[in-house]
Amino acid sequence: MDQFKMPYFYNYPPYFTLQPVKDTRDKQVQLWKELILKYCKNYKIFIINLDEEFPLFVNSSIERKLSHEARELFLGALVTEGKAEWLDKGHRKCLILWRTITDWANLILHFVKENGFEDGVMTLDEIRTGDETRGTDIAGIDRTVLIKALRVLEQRGKAAMFKGTSADDEGVKFSA
Amino acid sequence: MRRRPGIAGLQTAATNRNQFRTLGEDVAKARTESMKEQLSVFRTQLEDFARKHKNDIKKSPAFRAQFHAMCQKIGVDPLASNKGFWAELLGIGDFYYELGVQIVDICLATRSHNGGLIDLEELRALLTKRRRASRERITEDDCSRAISKLKALGGGFEVFTVGNRRLVRSVPTELNRDHNQIIEAAQIQGYVTAEDLVSRFSWQMGRVIDALETLMKEGLVMVDDGHADGKRRYWFPCVSTVDVDLDDSAGNTT
Repeated sequence: MDQFKMPYFYNYPPYFTLQPVKDTRDKQVQLWKELILKYCKNYKIFIINLDEEFPLFVNSSIERKLSHEARELFLGALVTEGKAEWLDKGHRKCLILWRTITDWANLILHFVKENGFEDGVMTLDEIRTGDETRGTDIAGIDRTVLIKALRVLEQRGKAAMFKGTSADDEGVKFSA
Repeated sequence: MRRRPGIAGLQTAATNRNQFRTLGEDVAKARTESMKEQLSVFRTQLEDFARKHKNDIKKSPAFRAQFHAMCQKIGVDPLASNKGFWAELLGIGDFYYELGVQIVDICLATRSHNGGLIDLEELRALLTKRRRASRERITEDDCSRAISKLKALGGGFEVFTVGNRRLVRSVPTELNRDHNQIIEAAQIQGYVTAEDLVSRFSWQMGRVIDALETLMKEGLVMVDDGHADGKRRYWFPCVSTVDVDLDDSAGNTT
């Protein structure tokens, strides 16, 4: 995986404290939003759990870390923008959409057409970790994101999801 | 025996006066003419000089600074107009106009980070980075010269000195003496604490907080509550060198 280059502000201590002046804070939120998306995309991270430590939010080289309030604010700003979704009412777990659900759906559709799965059947696990998708952008996709994307395809009539006897058997039939 | 005044005496006096006047006029005329001649010689020589050293002036920052110093001494401003023979001869006006545009660009691109105050040296470094295509070296002297031309546009572009640094201001913020002293104090570590300032300047806490609040509102200061000692630090982006990625924030404005 590419070494991720942190932006300049990541090593500037005040960016780890919520700024009281509105203009400055707006700028701060903007920078963090961009960084969270880039970081998650680079490391293929889909969920940030606020109850666990997240490496991005701690910079030990300058001995600073984001407060809980700041973390929730930045993620909340992403949610407002449609680039993230809270997975629970208590705002502890956040799904990071560095690629929108629609984009994921299109990506899957593209993959299906490229690889001759137009009428094929795949289990969700196959899509996520199987040989077919290895090396593509789809590999390693989060289960929640995948299901959301497949629902989009369902609505377009390009796919039909079915349930098996257990979660492992969940699958999808494409009709692209 | 004393001669009494007569017609002849008066006439002689009048003739003398006339002769003196004519002589005076002649002298003045000759002087003007020689001045004119000297001026034209001087101008030709200055032009010759500029033409001869055109490349040096463009390429060498030290030579450029000396050339400017010389022009200033004799009361000629090569940047005063883009139309004069200087511009045609040297393109030197263009050089500074180009620099000016790039400076405005950089100031705008970094404004959200530094609140519109930037260290002259950092500005120069960013300029050099941006201009890497053209080989000419840029000095701080060139920067401040270009900025002094920007003043004409209003907008508050100005170079001023705080402590041992020169800062460029691109916002019409009026900083008072307290503010300047605080920025000077912040140059040491990039930040100050209110307690530092109280003990350093023997000011009342209220005065310190007041000044810091103003600087904060202007976007020149960011607070940092994250240090282990629990004391709030006030950081001044304008005195800390950070590698702002211009390509990201400036858009395509080359």
